[in-house]
Amino acid sequence: MDFDLFLLFLQQGIVSGLVVGSVYALLALSIVMIFKTSEVPNFAAGEVFMAAGYCALFLLVFQHMPLWVAIPVTLVASFIVAALFRRGVLKQVAKASGSPVNLVIATLGLSYVLKGLVRRTGFGDTPRSFPALISTDSIMIGQASITKLDLSIFITAILVMAAVFWMFAYTKVGRAMRAVGMNPKAAQLMGVDLERIHMLVWGLAAVISAIAALLISPKILMTAEMGSIVTMAFAAAIVGGFMSLPGAVVGGFVIGITENFVGLFISSRAIVVAPFVAIMLVLILRPQGLFGGKFAIKKV
Amino acid sequence: MADLLELRGVSAAYGRIQAIAGIDLSVPEGAIVALLGANGAGKTTTLNTISRLVPATTGSILFEGKPIERATSHAVVRAGISQVPEGREVFREMSVAENLEMGAYLRSDPRGIRDDIERAFDYFPILKQRYQQKAGTLSGGEQQMLVIARALMARPRLLLLDEPSLGLSPLLVEKIFEIIHRLNREGLSILLVEQNASVALGASSEAYILENGEVAVKGKSADLRQDDAVRRSYIG
Repeated sequence: MDFDLFLLFLQQGIVSGLVVGSVYALLALSIVMIFKTSEVPNFAAGEVFMAAGYCALFLLVFQHMPLWVAIPVTLVASFIVAALFRRGVLKQVAKASGSPVNLVIATLGLSYVLKGLVRRTGFGDTPRSFPALISTDSIMIGQASITKLDLSIFITAILVMAAVFWMFAYTKVGRAMRAVGMNPKAAQLMGVDLERIHMLVWGLAAVISAIAALLISPKILMTAEMGSIVTMAFAAAIVGGFMSLPGAVVGGFVIGITENFVGLFISSRAIVVAPFVAIMLVLILRPQGLFGGKFAIKKV
Repeated sequence: MADLLELRGVSAAYGRIQAIAGIDLSVPEGAIVALLGANGAGKTTTLNTISRLVPATTGSILFEGKPIERATSHAVVRAGISQVPEGREVFREMSVAENLEMGAYLRSDPRGIRDDIERAFDYFPILKQRYQQKAGTLSGGEQQMLVIARALMARPRLLLLDEPSLGLSPLLVEKIFEIIHRLNREGLSILLVEQNASVALGASSEAYILENGEVAVKGKSADLRQDDAVRRSYIG
């Protein structure tokens, strides 16, 4: 490979990696948010993402709703379904057994329900394409070429992340969410309604997943299995230390760029193993993740 | 004096394990009442039952004459009861400032909250120097001060203090108790849980001693300090 080609691939890999990475970052953010507040890895994250995509597809294409109706309806529906799942299912499971394993299994249950629902309605039977909301004309960034759609995906994702970080840092409810994650008992003693915060976190995480779905769906073929993209998000979360929100974002970009580098420099067939290589490298070199901080001894 | 808090026959359990059984206890308005006993006697459970972290299985809890044994934990805070949990449960990754603001979670008067933060610095000047520091980086004594200051941010009428002297040097214990007295003079009623019986009996007007989840002894603190049996078992 000559040097010019190397430089071109390098630039293209980074730019394309940032675009897809921003979507992984959103999904990782949604997973880490829930894990931080309730210590449950949400294995339904991919299916929430998939179902939200189909919800938007249904409203836009089959019901011919205008964008400004279809998108808010999708986001609100995602929020409500996730918040009700927390309230109606997880709360009861926690009450009945309290064992975290059962909560994880409940999230797996949700993933099958959502997948079943999409298959059952017939939408998931054939691959479908989501209409591109923004033109796919290409633009050049340095020597790298991306579409206007790509650029708007990246910008939207960054704006959403900024909003989420702003909420966690500066709003009362965001602070309460962090407090519940650090010390639920103390948060309760401050007058925080734990169940309300859990519902809000689940709802918000689902909204973030839904936004990720709206962003990436025009670029991929939609199937009931599209939730498997969440593997990348879990990889991103692990790379970032699984307990760190900034870590999730950086992890998303790391995975996105790694995936593109592997595709460009090695082989497009090797892409599927890229996230696992990234996970292994991080776990070997820095077991606590990039943003994991020191190992903390867990309190009993 | 009217009773601010009254427990009548309160029991609580963790699963099948009975933790407290039929506790009768009252905190008069403006008093410091001590709750003593060995490890596992049910002191912390009593506080957690009042704060509604642990459900009461029987009995009633009256605060200002109103029953709160069915209320939610946040309703109890709103009613005016703040607990300072044992073991300095700060929000470790938050700054001192954010910890204090969390204490005012149920309030929505920014100006009043700002004034109360200033007041907290008046009680605990060291917290002002640590204002932007993460709470997890503070020393044990500073964390203890922070959790007391944080509980005060809710403007409670009754403070439940769980083992404020635990793990602190005698000098710091003295300092913390000076502040407890000052808070009490300014009108705050306090239910104080302590292992350090001599300090607690010195600070309080009335005391209850728990044994195996039941009230074994109750009386005026001054009398209990003179009582031989109590001295042998709890002061040594």
